[in-house]
Amino acid sequence: MAETPLPPDFTAAKMAQAQKAFEAALGANKVFFTELDRASYQDKFAVDEAAHHPAGAIAPASVEEVQAAVRIANQFRLPLWPISRGKNLGYGGTAPVLAGTVVLDLSRMRKIEFDEANGVVTLEPGVGFYDLYDYIQRHKLPYWLSTPGNSWGSVIGNALDRGVGYTPYGENTKSFCGMEVVLPTGELVRTGMGAFSNAPTWGLYPFGYGPAWDQMFVQSNFGIVTKANMWLMPEPESLMGMDVEFDRPEDLKAMVDTIGPLRREGLLRQSPSIGNWLRAAAVLTTRDQWTDKPGALDDHVIDAIRKRFNIGWWGVSLRLYGREEVNKASYKVLEKAMTQIRPMLVKPTSWVKGQPLEYSGWTGTPLTFPMQNVNWYGGRGGHIGFSPILPQDGSVALAQFQRTYARYREYGMDYQGSFAFGERHLINVNAMIFDKDNAEKMGRIDAFFRALVADAKAEGFGEYRTHLDYMDLVAESYDWNGGALRKLNEKVKDALDPNGILAPGKSGIWPRGLAGERRP
Amino acid sequence: MRGHRTTIAILSALALAGCAARAAEPQGQQAAAAPAQPAPPPGMPKPVTLVDRPNATGGEKLYVEHCAMCHAPGGMGSGLLGRRIDQPDLEKRDNLVAQYVILAARRGIGNMPAIPRGEVSDEDLQAIADYLAAGPHGGAK
Repeated sequence: MAETPLPPDFTAAKMAQAQKAFEAALGANKVFFTELDRASYQDKFAVDEAAHHPAGAIAPASVEEVQAAVRIANQFRLPLWPISRGKNLGYGGTAPVLAGTVVLDLSRMRKIEFDEANGVVTLEPGVGFYDLYDYIQRHKLPYWLSTPGNSWGSVIGNALDRGVGYTPYGENTKSFCGMEVVLPTGELVRTGMGAFSNAPTWGLYPFGYGPAWDQMFVQSNFGIVTKANMWLMPEPESLMGMDVEFDRPEDLKAMVDTIGPLRREGLLRQSPSIGNWLRAAAVLTTRDQWTDKPGALDDHVIDAIRKRFNIGWWGVSLRLYGREEVNKASYKVLEKAMTQIRPMLVKPTSWVKGQPLEYSGWTGTPLTFPMQNVNWYGGRGGHIGFSPILPQDGSVALAQFQRTYARYREYGMDYQGSFAFGERHLINVNAMIFDKDNAEKMGRIDAFFRALVADAKAEGFGEYRTHLDYMDLVAESYDWNGGALRKLNEKVKDALDPNGILAPGKSGIWPRGLAGERRP
Repeated sequence: MRGHRTTIAILSALALAGCAARAAEPQGQQAAAAPAQPAPPPGMPKPVTLVDRPNATGGEKLYVEHCAMCHAPGGMGSGLLGRRIDQPDLEKRDNLVAQYVILAARRGIGNMPAIPRGEVSDEDLQAIADYLAAGPHGGAK
């Protein structure tokens, strides 16, 4: 039987005492320390299967139980790793950075409160996209979600990791409006107007009075968010747009330079994502149906894929949301702009309220099928992503693509890339799909990832989000003025969490006592 | 490739993943939609959630709540199982053994990640497994 992983300077006897204390506070049915429990909380898509093993997990079901768990963690100086539902699978899922940490699983906190008049939902972290979708259907509420490509996870967990969707509310972290947070020392605070007793405006005005803290608890280890308000998009009267295909890799430049201004101007308010041919092939087929050659797919195979699915080298779906009259006028502008850059295929789409709805990310429908791409190579699949932030500049995006594509070919990886628009930036998501049963190929992933980080760093591009393995590496790349931001983060960390118990290593932020664990 | 119609449905829904939607053949319309709602257009089926099974109790209710997002038609699990076996819908299987269901969920199987006890308790997983072992069931009604 495998030994329980322990945090630095911890003993098995002390872990057993902590487990007993959790059982006394929460009940034995919320405390999980068997070997099978530990395995079930490991990183499902791990590149290094020996890393990030938790000691066990606990599942408090209320704020009071979270506070009790935090007090015990402080008493034993035992690290806790909060997860909402742990379904951010390409980033570590349920697993902690530091081996021996206890996972604080918030899956069982699933309350939903809805302010229908204002379109504000108050959620606990265990509420998944499917749960909220069900709630909206059940109560016939005229609001749409903003769902990510894998919607299995938590609504606020996704926004706390800066996940994205595809509607005008696609930058999910911007939809937060006030949180309730358990601090690392156990106190409970509410941010924004929530700090004002009985304020009916907690979910309406995000800033409150004085400093506004919501983003302080995003991608950080400064508190455990036990409740948050989020704004939902009112159901539009009309949804109109086009799916557009482009023939050549070089067309990326014109696509970015055409869509970017429309997005900044506000004619396009959603978050379009330009993607390449592998997205269709990897979801719908397996690689062995196309070729048995190792290395990156060659141009003959790429041509065959494109022919079968009738797609371009790049494709993008553009959607307009709102009043039908306004959408019709906007569509003319959109159509003219896109036609000018000579797409190989344009397929218009149109919906008005009352018509049958398309069940896709554009309508905020939760989905899981895009994760079928993990079966691309066969075997036990997985993926991680390298996702630098770029400006909305076509030449820059094209050069970044060309550098990255050359690396994919150098390392023998099939290229799955996308360029997702925010208001002023692009997120260039480069998915690395792998087969965990192919040891030789798995051995190349780490060097490949590090090469991409170094290439992007040389151009001034940093990642927006990363896997557990690379949190220190990416934090190190944010190096202006001697890494002043990291120093500030760690000063805040030590002030709020003197015993260093909350998610040590998250986003490269380490408490004083565990700074030696940093592994860039 | 198995499940040609499903393939077309998924491809048409790939707009999400940045691929253009293709003309799709009409699907067998999913009975899952709430009665008042018009049938969805060709493409992906409506996700199955508890609102579609107002009378579900016990293991069925828990299955819809915890498993349907992947195992109902259009889900990842359904899609990948459809590549390997004739009946990818777990509720329609007549050969599932409760202990096997529990083992597959807790340890993960193929591309299905392990489901930890914080997410689905032992008691709830047993009820789900018993429900599936008692199949086949009518499915999305």
